[in-house]
Amino acid sequence: MHFCHFKKIALLALLSTCLTACGDGSANKENAAQINYNINYPSSNGGTLIEATTGEPSGLIAMIAGESAASAIAGNIFNSLLKYDKDLELTGELVESWDISEDQKTITFHLKPNLKWADNQALTSEDVLFTWQKVTDEKTRTPYGSDYKLVIKAETPDLNTFRVSYAAPYAPALETWASLHILPKHLLKDQDINSTAFARNPVGSHYYKLDKWKNGQYLKLTRNENATQGQAKIDHLLSRIIPDKAAQFLELSADNIDLMGLNPIQYARIFPARPDLNNKIALYKELGNSYTYLGFNLKRKPFDDIRVRQAINYAINKQEIIDGVLLGLGEPVASPYKPGTRWSNPELKPYPYDPSKAKALLKAAGYKDHDNDGILDKDGKPFHFEILTNQNKEREMTGVLIQRRLKEIGIDANIRVLEWASFLGRFIKPKEFDVVVLGWSLSLDPDQYSIWHSSQQAPGQFNFISYNNTRVDKLLEAGRLELDPDKRMKIYHEFSKVLLEESPIVYLSAGYGLTAIHKRVKGISKPAPPAGIGHNTYEWYIPKAYSRNEMSEH
Amino acid sequence: MKASAVNPLVLLGFVIISSILLLALLAPIISPYDPDAIDVKAILLSPSTQHLMGTDGLGRDVFSRMLYGARISLMVGFVAVGISTVIGIVLGALAGFYRGWVDTIVMRVVDIMLSIPTFFLILAVIAFLTPSIWNIMIVIGLTSWMGVTRLVRAEFLSLRNREFVLAAQTLGAKDNRLIFTHLLPNSLTPIIVSSILGIASAVLIESGLSFLGLGVQAPQASWGNILTDGKEYIQFAWWLSLFPGLAILITVLGYNLLGDGLRDAYNPKSGQH
Repeated sequence: MHFCHFKKIALLALLSTCLTACGDGSANKENAAQINYNINYPSSNGGTLIEATTGEPSGLIAMIAGESAASAIAGNIFNSLLKYDKDLELTGELVESWDISEDQKTITFHLKPNLKWADNQALTSEDVLFTWQKVTDEKTRTPYGSDYKLVIKAETPDLNTFRVSYAAPYAPALETWASLHILPKHLLKDQDINSTAFARNPVGSHYYKLDKWKNGQYLKLTRNENATQGQAKIDHLLSRIIPDKAAQFLELSADNIDLMGLNPIQYARIFPARPDLNNKIALYKELGNSYTYLGFNLKRKPFDDIRVRQAINYAINKQEIIDGVLLGLGEPVASPYKPGTRWSNPELKPYPYDPSKAKALLKAAGYKDHDNDGILDKDGKPFHFEILTNQNKEREMTGVLIQRRLKEIGIDANIRVLEWASFLGRFIKPKEFDVVVLGWSLSLDPDQYSIWHSSQQAPGQFNFISYNNTRVDKLLEAGRLELDPDKRMKIYHEFSKVLLEESPIVYLSAGYGLTAIHKRVKGISKPAPPAGIGHNTYEWYIPKAYSRNEMSEH
Repeated sequence: MKASAVNPLVLLGFVIISSILLLALLAPIISPYDPDAIDVKAILLSPSTQHLMGTDGLGRDVFSRMLYGARISLMVGFVAVGISTVIGIVLGALAGFYRGWVDTIVMRVVDIMLSIPTFFLILAVIAFLTPSIWNIMIVIGLTSWMGVTRLVRAEFLSLRNREFVLAAQTLGAKDNRLIFTHLLPNSLTPIIVSSILGIASAVLIESGLSFLGLGVQAPQASWGNILTDGKEYIQFAWWLSLFPGLAILITVLGYNLLGDGLRDAYNPKSGQH
């Protein structure tokens, strides 16, 4: 049947060129370039959105899998109690409303009525309680447990109410409930969550459910008819696993995928040179969610000396890194918060590039080139160290630029690039490094206790540079207790100021998030709101006239 | 000697290798730029009179980096093959000269080593060491001596009972005199040929390791890591992949022509047809 139909279409197309030129569903690939993708068709249901992902998830229970590939796909399948809206304000997802008690220690969540899992079972506060029990269970292998362990009591007064109590007011509490995917108790209660088959065959409550997972090839999601948040427009989401960005790009140019993240070269060099791509693909540029930094091992000499750290900060030309590595597609940062948001202190400016100031600081710290070999020395030892980073082209190039600048002021640094697992296991966890080039995310909540507080230095914890400052510790503790947004803002502005002054890390750059989306996909907000273009994927749609010829797929 | 003078391919191989050697030796003089000099305002320029082979992702001059990369490639070739040849000669000579249980042990070790794919063995060893040019040369040398061992052993076995050796032995020559003055000089030709061919494969292995990021570390230039850098830009910056690729190809070709040609020239059997 299908085959006959296809033949007929092919025949028609031969007889009348008009049919294909009008761009109906039968348009074949040769004509794809001629389709005008700028017609504003009204919103409609249907179609398949194909996106490229670099990594394959290890499973779809985000708290266990941990990697970003997993949380991205699982985010289409599972809901949290709360979510961020397009202006990055917290709002209810599974809950209708929430109350905070007078003493700020108890939060009561009121679930929306008649919530359902994709398998038509009722979703109740029992599921929420179950999820909390799992994430705080010692047997659950998750790195995300600590925030939820602060809850001293969790209870379900009725099937629509979930209540948590904290020992002390905890300002980031609400935020934590926006990132915990609620899991179905009826399917998981007798399972070992670390190894359950549910991770590869999940049942959630969000817009989509998993339809097919082909190892090493793709994950196909299909619209969930029982979705708690209403119905998404697009029928299927196909995530194709393509580890190499260059290969992804070829697939994008060949019209085989609709959405991918670009690197600066693809965005700034390849696209402008390819007018054929500009006709069918739209580019989006937003401030990214992470920044790159140079971090010192503060337990090692001479990085315990603030003058040495500041000297290196002055010696590095940040603009050069942004221009050279990111091709100008990034911004300098002076605090660990997204520039322009309330937590980012507008008074702080990055250390300017000033090699003479760097030299003066090093001289004050006792460094001088005694043997005239071009390298500074102190107590007979040359100033030499190793810059460690992982196999990431951009970080490696950043390292080369830094090395060059340090050499100019008489510091001899070499670069070592490692594969991620051995980088973490052999160097970061045992703190066997001098200096690292790495990235941190620019999170939405300002609490950065786990990165900077002196109590977080155990192997495997995030303060691996061993930062220890009583003033910062006090500010971080105060910030967690303060619920008034304005007072909280002042605390974190002060925290950022101390951090910049002390220079335990050198902020290098914050790259833009660069996305390419095929123009067949409509309904994307432009300009992007603070939450980014991805905030309303459920409203995206693919007009019938633009949808792929489903028969030519696979 | 006459044969090699006539064979144009050997000559070509010789010319290729000696010109690359010359370029590598004179790199500091010929290079128009410092190979590590970064210029973010001149990123990915196509080849021109200013930059003969264009510039890379950090604005470094590719021609200068190619010249310095040639030094790495040639040095790796010579040192690695030097190591493997010495090991090969010693073990092969022991096995071929003494035979018996020495031969059995050496040849079984050779068999074991040969049963492991060399490149993967090298990858595994490098993963435990700091990747550096010296480690790579040593590791390549320590994992590629088996061919030479077999060759030397075979030569020794066939020469061991020849009249001149027996005569020397009858006259009371000691073992090491037999080995070093009689047997070894007479087995040199195949060793030289196999070493030259070995250099070609060492150059390839180094390029492969650097391509995978396990070889020469940034910012030092090697043909292999220029090629890796080029991979990202292959769609529009062809010069970053073409030149190092060609350089590796031509060098390996040069060594192979030279090695094959020498083998033919010195082998009386192959000269007959």
